[in-house]
Amino acid sequence: MIIERVLIFFIFITGFIGLISMKNIIKKIIGLNLLTSSVVLLFILEASRIGDEAPIIDNKVQNIVDPIPQALMLTAIVIGVCVTALSLAMAVRLYKTTGSLDIEIIKQRLEDDCE
Amino acid sequence: MNKRSFFKIFITTFIVFFIILPIIISNTSWPTLARDYLFEMALDETGAANTVSSIYLGYRLLDTLGETLVLFVAIIGTMSILSNLHKQSLQSIETYSKLPLEKRAKNSLRTNLVEVVASKLGPIILLFGLYVMLYGHISPGGGFQGGVILASAIVFLALGTEVKSKLTNTNVLFKIESFSFISLILVTTYVVFFPNGFFSNIDTNNTFISASIIIILNIMIGLKVGTSLASVIIAMMGGQNDH
Repeated sequence: MIIERVLIFFIFITGFIGLISMKNIIKKIIGLNLLTSSVVLLFILEASRIGDEAPIIDNKVQNIVDPIPQALMLTAIVIGVCVTALSLAMAVRLYKTTGSLDIEIIKQRLEDDCE
Repeated sequence: MNKRSFFKIFITTFIVFFIILPIIISNTSWPTLARDYLFEMALDETGAANTVSSIYLGYRLLDTLGETLVLFVAIIGTMSILSNLHKQSLQSIETYSKLPLEKRAKNSLRTNLVEVVASKLGPIILLFGLYVMLYGHISPGGGFQGGVILASAIVFLALGTEVKSKLTNTNVLFKIESFSFISLILVTTYVVFFPNGFFSNIDTNNTFISASIIIILNIMIGLKVGTSLASVIIAMMGGQNDH
């Protein structure tokens, strides 16, 4: 079980480093999506520790996984999509206004406009 | 990247490493109480064999309504940001996927394959999305999942040039979305006729009514999620698309 956790942690750290260190806005948004995906994977992994069958009840299943983290992650996925759509729209807006996707160039051009 | 910003990023990652690593690595035993209760009672109490459906449309319907509200607000924000944009600059900038083949001189590897395959696959994926949406209470799937498949089918129809469909017009999508959202709120008020309380299961005896409420809610949520996501993606592809 430990190897999956370490891999999920590496996905998390990859997304975090992409979020804070990349200069391109699109790469930042990809990092944010990686963060969301790692959290979703962690919850699904935790839910699957106490069972090994899908949580659909019929006569055959005996040992289902915990369905509550799956229902929670449904919410998390939808809200992740919302955040991605909103941030992509803002990125398009910034690109149309300043002509660049690099945050330092955007900052410089906005400061030039203010002066 | 200069030395100072690299140092800052390194320190931040180091701190996050030691905060997040114990949370992810910790191996405490997962409680089985809720799982056992749902395994015994969920089918009888809500009428849905899919336990995930019975949670988000039965026990936690209020959460689902809040989730659709969050989706609604995010879509409104995205569309308002994007709609001002296209008024300014739609004349000068043509979307790449809308150009006919001979005008795509910059990328000679691009073919008509995407358009042809997408417009052929679109109706089939639409049917599959409806299946996932309608059978969400007894099989893997549900309103949100079926809605996302519907959204991808509508995007396929919008990408393709062979099939002319009214579903790729954002005004039609908005009408479907508002209709399904109003119906969702109206359907959830059925509980005023029953003494169990707001957003609770009206019928805990696994009869026809309890499962049919979940089917209706799945249809409403699926239509709403599908049309709103599809309208955002169509707006990002190049604004209003009226065939």
